[in-house]
This record gives sequence, structure tokens and C-alpha cells, in this order.
Amino acid sequence: MNRWPEISFEDRMSTVHFDVHERAHITVDGDSCHGCTTKACVVACPANLFVPTSDGGIVFNYEQCFECGTCYMVCNVEGAITWTYPDGGHGVVFRRT
Amino acid sequence: MSETDFDVVVVGAGPAGSCAALSLAKAGHSVLLVERGPFAGSKNMYGGVVYPRILDALIPNWWEEAPIQRWVTRRQTMVMTPTQSLTIDYRSDTWAKPPYNGATAYRPDFDFWLAGKAEAAGAQLICSTTVTGLLRDGHGRTIGVRTDRPDGDITARLVIACDGVNSFLAKEAGLYRRDVDANSFTLGVKETIALPTDVINERFGVRGREGADIEIIGCTGDVNGGGFIYTNLDTIGVGVVLKLSKLGAQRQRPEEIIANLKAHPSVAPLVEGGEVKEYSAHLIPEAGYDMIPTLAGDGLLIAGDAAGLCLAAGIWLEGVNFALASGMYAGDAAADALRSDDTSAAGLAGYRQRLERTFVLKDHAKLRHIPHLVLGDRLQQEYPQMVANIVERMFRVDNPRPKPGIRRILTQERRHAGIRWRDLAKDTWTAMRGFG
Amino acid sequence: MAATASSSGGHERLRTGARAVRAVIVTCQKWVALGAADADSAGHNAADQRFGGTSAADQAALEWALRLGAARSEAVTVIALGPDEASKALRDAAAAGADRLLRVDSSTSIDSVDVAAAITSALQSLGAADVSFIVCGDYSLDRGSGSVPAFLAAMLGMAMALGAVGIDLADGTDVEVLRRLDGGRRERLRLHDSGVISVEGSTATLRRASLSGVLASKAKQIEMHTPTRSIDHVARATTMSTYRPRARQLAPPVGGNPLARLHALTSATHRSTHGETVVLDPQMAARRIVEALTVWGYLDGESGPAADAPTR
Ligand SMILES: Cc1cc2nc3c(=O)[nH]c(=O)nc-3n(C[C@H](O)[C@H](O)[C@H](O)COP(=O)(O)OP(=O)(O)OC[C@H]3O[C@@H](n4cnc5c(N)ncnc54)[C@H](O)[C@@H]3O)c2cc1C
Ligand code: SF4
Ligand code: SF4
Repeated sequence: MNRWPEISFEDRMSTVHFDVHERAHITVDGDSCHGCTTKACVVACPANLFVPTSDGGIVFNYEQCFECGTCYMVCNVEGAITWTYPDGGHGVVFRRT
Repeated sequence: MSETDFDVVVVGAGPAGSCAALSLAKAGHSVLLVERGPFAGSKNMYGGVVYPRILDALIPNWWEEAPIQRWVTRRQTMVMTPTQSLTIDYRSDTWAKPPYNGATAYRPDFDFWLAGKAEAAGAQLICSTTVTGLLRDGHGRTIGVRTDRPDGDITARLVIACDGVNSFLAKEAGLYRRDVDANSFTLGVKETIALPTDVINERFGVRGREGADIEIIGCTGDVNGGGFIYTNLDTIGVGVVLKLSKLGAQRQRPEEIIANLKAHPSVAPLVEGGEVKEYSAHLIPEAGYDMIPTLAGDGLLIAGDAAGLCLAAGIWLEGVNFALASGMYAGDAAADALRSDDTSAAGLAGYRQRLERTFVLKDHAKLRHIPHLVLGDRLQQEYPQMVANIVERMFRVDNPRPKPGIRRILTQERRHAGIRWRDLAKDTWTAMRGFG
Repeated sequence: MAATASSSGGHERLRTGARAVRAVIVTCQKWVALGAADADSAGHNAADQRFGGTSAADQAALEWALRLGAARSEAVTVIALGPDEASKALRDAAAAGADRLLRVDSSTSIDSVDVAAAITSALQSLGAADVSFIVCGDYSLDRGSGSVPAFLAAMLGMAMALGAVGIDLADGTDVEVLRRLDGGRRERLRLHDSGVISVEGSTATLRRASLSGVLASKAKQIEMHTPTRSIDHVARATTMSTYRPRARQLAPPVGGNPLARLHALTSATHRSTHGETVVLDPQMAARRIVEALTVWGYLDGESGPAADAPTR
């Protein structure tokens, strides 16, 4: 089924409040991703933070992360994702959820 | 025994943690409740309905002060295919009166209120503080936690980990089963959509503080899962839960699956014209009884989602009540263990016994096979179409042809959907045994 | 240029304000409710302590106050203006190391003059003579005009160094403040032993409170101050709009050809001759600046009274 989304992904994410910390709480080792055939994170991350590059790597931005844990659960390559919670008080802040 | 900073440190001010802290504080113990968000509830999202009856013991008349949006008086279960839907609709007037049944509430409100109750009872709550690990002695016994604040180590006679679905503390303590992987979890994504109160009342057939709750099967395309719609006062929550192992393999993104649900002919009229106010996501431990870890270690208990105690079995999506209850029982068992000065795993055995005696583990044991059934391929990909077709043919008027007999429709549609008798019988048996 | 004139003149003034007993460093925090617009019909999620806070600049100010307090061995008092929820900001400040907490009860939507007056009256109740430095953020979370620190300095008769992009504590007695001027220039002011400083948010990151600090802050007492109203001796902003300098009137250019006339009109080939260095006391310096601006055509003759503003 193909139809225009009712709101753009940027607008969707702009409804969420983030108190971003300077430390990246999740890091992705792009080198490990080159050999990954599933690229499961790209489809599964609800915040769409994993962007595949043309050479088979991954570019990752941690800022707008829900801290849900989906990415490290679906990733099968050991060491590709280093996952921690943001420092206390930082990261996503829900309001009406 | 050497002096500790607190009797108990509770990690995570979700429903499990706040209940544990509340019951311990009431019993007169010094309790520290540590939350990583800037306030309790700030990191938490869910579908939208709490069943707080279990609070009767801890907070009598909780319904007079809890930040409730609506009382659920109407519950629907919907089975859908891309073009059809079949709904079972139940409503009850008694659910609109104390002591009520289910209620919609926002977690940043509900959890904040509950943590406030624990604080008022004497627990110390500190927010904006992430617990980064357990402190353990030479024998592997938990003696406190490390936080990410300067001079952030805290010692306690007992730690209760209520740190939710990703529980790094339970994993660190080695309490999780090794076979727990992406198959055991679903991802929940939700849109909070603003609509005027009277529009919601009209569309969902409710009034005043009454609310509706709709659970949906067959709305998530190739990714096994389910959907939900819940009414708040001036917003509705529309979301889907998606099996992680399938989500990675199929090429469909979570927000697209919500968009498809919202565009379904049975759902579109309910959500039309609403503005998305917030988008959110969270994991759910969905494997039920079979994923429940070891519940106690030396100096350590785990409760709520951290212990996998979430009941996500199709027409049920209950976790908050299990978290409230397991947190409370963990608090009670901890108080016993502190009294007899034995917080070893053996001294904490009362926790599991309490869970086994009550709905917490009784429900889980009874519904043990249901999550696998509900999220299985047949129920997800084949049954909705078959059921919808059967009903369609029962209600279709095909004059001049005479109405076919029901048995005949059943046989034909089963064959048409390519489902074997043996599987159908097996699944029916599983369902009967679980739900019956 | 004009700015040079004022800063060299002002420098002398800043050096003069020595005082006897110094014991308190004050930082002002404005707590602002966020998300009030999101309140639903049940009143949930309305303005409360969950959705509100202080600006990065206010937090930087607190950090500088704490550093200054440590360097000078002086106690740090935090004043927050706002409703009950503002206590959250005070406790956070106590957790980070502030010694004394004072909340000035008020709605958060009042004029800068009144804010400054309220804080001044609070300081007087503390004993204003004991105050050495006052450190503020240069803007609050609701982005006001950033004029509270200036009003404070005026009302307390203290030297001021506003909009700091950098602070050098030197030996703790003298504080060097780096200010941003127009045209990418910088100005360095030295405050001797006292003054009002406002800082930009980027100048410092508030330290993370220790666990024991957070626990101790829970029991910390918050003193209350109810401001005495009625401040009528100051100029008050009536309308607020963006400043548009009026067009400058120039005599018709003289020149033999269009290019020469263009050069004459724009003085593109001449270096500007504006600017002078003078040493004057503040009153005279202000007058001189206004005079120069009038001569250069930037001000109308009538707007002279600015020099008589109540800066004392
Ligand atoms: C999409 C979705 C829909 C759902 N729908 C429903 C529903 O309708 N009804 C229902 O009853 N249940 C529902 N659930 C399940 C329910 O949300 C959970 O079962 C419940 O929240 C579990 O409570 P908890 O206290 O165990 O964990 P949580 O609510 O997750 O709380 C854990 C707390 O610990 C904190 N924390 C975590 N790690 C740390 C750390 N290291 N240091 C400090 N703090 C930490 C977190 O910030 C959080 O506040 C749903 C879940 C999802 C995802
Ligand atoms: S993060 Fe994991 S799943 Fe994603 S591309 Fe890299 S290796 Fe593959
Ligand atoms: S934790 Fe969730 S939101 Fe954050 S990057 Fe991973 S999948 Fe995306």
C-alpha cells in the first residue's frame, strides 16, 4: 500500500521532547555494519535514526532516541551497537503517553 | 551486619518501583527510589489503560485522587483484514462506578502521582539519576548500586530492580534466561492524537468520563502484532505492537503500519481530523510465563517488566497492574526478609510464593501458551481472513441463491484459507485451555 | 568609537565600588513554566514542576556563582522568582552546592523593573551590604528583554558587567569579564570586589550534583520573601518594538562626476573619522556619547534626556 504520509517524519519527531546530552548514549560501529545483510535496525528503529550509506555502512544520530532498546535487540552483529541509557535527567521526556 | 546507607534501594520509579517503595516505606523502612528521568513517568509510555484495583490495599480510595482520564466502560475486540472487520463490543455501566475496572491515564501523570505517594509515605525519591550497575561483594551478593552522579555509590541491605523491560540490572545479575532474545519482545509505537472531547464522545459512543478501549488483531500487515485505540479526555491513543523478530525482517516501518491502521475503513472515521500531539515508542516483554527470569538473587529482587511480568496476550494488554502487584509483593517480601535479617535468595523466597498465590503468576501460568498463539503466523496471517470471510458469507444476501449452511461455509473457508484441520483443532484447544 | 569612550570612562567607575563586609554571592534564577498551553480539559499536564525550569544562562550563572563562592570563600545564596514550583529550581541549586535558598513569591509574568525591585527588596531583607557579587543569566527561559541585571545594578548602586561571554576569576578579588560588543569586538571589564554580572549560557555548564548533595537538598530550608510593591521612580517601557534607526540626513554631495559624488556620499574611500578616546566620569561620558551620536546624525536632538536615566 502506498500513500502520502499524513505528516512528515520530521514533523512526527518534532512532537517529541528531548533534553539532549552531549554524550552519545548509543554508538554504532559503522565498520561492523558493512557485512550486515539484514540491516534490521534501519527498518525497526521507531525514530528512524539508522541511515544506510551507499557503501553499505550506517550513519547513526543519537539525539532523537526513544531509548527503547529495539536496535540492540534486532542487531545480530556482535559489537556493532554500544547501548547505554543517557545520563540521568537527559534524553526523551514524554508528556501525554 | 555493617551499616548501609538505606535498608532498600529501589531502581526505577515506574508502577513496580513506586509500589515497592510505598509498601516498604509504610512498613517503616528507609527506602531510596532512584529514577533516571527528570521526573517519575517521564520515560514511560504504554497503550493507555490501567487496572489499578490492586492498589486498594496500599491506597484506599485511589480512584478519588489518581490522575485518571476516563473510566473504561466499553471494550471492543476487532479482527480485521485490509478491507473487512469484525468487532465484539461489550459495555458495562458498573465499570463507570467505584471501584471501577479499567481507566485511561497518561503515564507521565500516573507514575508521577504514584511516586509522590511513595515519597509522602517516607521514601526518598531522586530523579535525573541513572543506575549504572550493581555493587556486589566478593560472594556475588548485591550490596547496593552505582549511579552516574559524582560520589554516586549507595549501599543497601537489599536492592529491588524495577528498571523496566531492558533491565540491565537483572541481566548483570545473571537472572535472565539465555534463550530470551528478539522473539520475546514486541515494539509498541503510538500516536497521541488530539480531538475535541465531544467529538471523541460522539465517535466512540461514550459520555462524561466514560471511555472506550479497542484491541485489534490483523491490522499489522506482514509483521505479526496487534493494534489498539484508547480514549483520553481530549486525545486518543492509536498504536500498534510489533513482533521484533518480524519487524527486522519485513521491510515495513513502524509509523507506516500505524498509518495503514489509521487509514483502515473501520478506523479512519474514528481518527479523522485529529492532530498528532506526540509520537512515542517502548518495548514490551511479550513471551509471558516462558520468559520469566529467576526472581531473586542474594540481596536482589526484580519486579514488573524487569521480571517479564507483562501479560500481552492478544485481547489483553496488561502490564501496569502486574507491575503494581509484583512491586507491592516484592516490597512485602523484602520487609519480611529485613525483619528476619536474611536477604539472601533463600530469605527472599517469599516473593515468588506471593506471586504464585496471586493473579500475578496464576494468570501467567494459565495463559502460558497464549502469547505464542496470538503472535503466531496462523492467527496473525490466516485466521483473520478466514473469520472475516465466514462472517461475510453468513450476512451476505446472495439471492436468488439460497443461504448456505454454516457448517458448509466453515469447511469451505477453512479450505480456502489453506488451514489444516489439525492446526485449527490444536489452536482451538490451546485457546480453550488458556482462556477457558 | 563611542563604545571605547564609554568603556574607558566606565572602567574607572567600576574600580571605585569598594565596600566593607562581603559575605554573600547571589545568583538569580527565573523559573518558567513550560507546557502550560498543553493543559487538557482535566487540567492534567498543566504548568507544574515537571514541565518547567531555568535557562541555560541561569544555570551558567549558578555555576559561576559557585566558582566565585569557592574562590572567595563566600556563601552562595540563590534567589528564585516564581510560584511554588520554583522551589524545584532552588533545590536543584542546593544540590549543586548553594548555601542559602530564597524564593520571591510572584507570578512569573511581571516586568523586569518589578522583578529587579522584588529581588532588591529581598536582598535588603538579607542585608544588601553583605552582597559582593550578583550573577544572573543574560536571558530567562521565556526570553525576556534580559534587562533585570541592569535594573538590579541601578537599584543597588553596584557596578555591572553584562552579557559576559567569558569570565576570568583571576584571584577571586578582581573578576575579569569579557563582553561582546557590536561588530565582533570584545571588551574586557575588571570588577573589583563587587558587581552585577550577567552571563551567556555558553560560558559554563552547571556541575552535576553529587548524590549526597541531592539527598541533602531535600531537607534544605527555603526562605520566603514577599516583595513590597510600588516602584514608581523608574522609567518603564510602554511599548516594545524593534529599533529602527531613523534615516540620516546628509547634505547633497559635491563632486565633478557621478563617481566622485558617490564617493562623497558614501565616504567609501575615506577612513571613518568618528571615534575618540576620552576619560570622563560616567555622567559626563554618557552625555558625551549622546552628543556625539546626535552630531553624527544617529539621534534626534530631543532624545537627550537618556543621559539622565536613574543610573546614579
Ligand atoms: C505500547 C505499549 C502498550 C502498553 N499497553 C498497556 C496497557 O494498556 N495496559 C497496561 O496495563 N500495560 C500496558 N503496557 C505494559 C506496561 O507499560 C508495562 O508493563 C509497565 O509499564 C511495567 O511497569 P514497570 O514499573 O515494571 O516498568 P516501567 O514502567 O518501564 O518503569 C521502569 C522505570 O525505571 C526507570 N529506569 C530504568 N532503568 C533505570 C536505571 N538504570 N536507573 C534508574 N532508573 C531506571 C525508567 O525510567 C522507568 O521509569 C504497554 C506497554 C507498551 C510498550
Ligand atoms: S547496527 Fe546491526 S543491524 Fe544495523 S546495520 Fe549494523 S550490524 Fe546490521
Ligand atoms: S533505542 Fe530505539 S529509538 Fe533509540 S536508536 Fe535504538 S531503536 Fe532507535
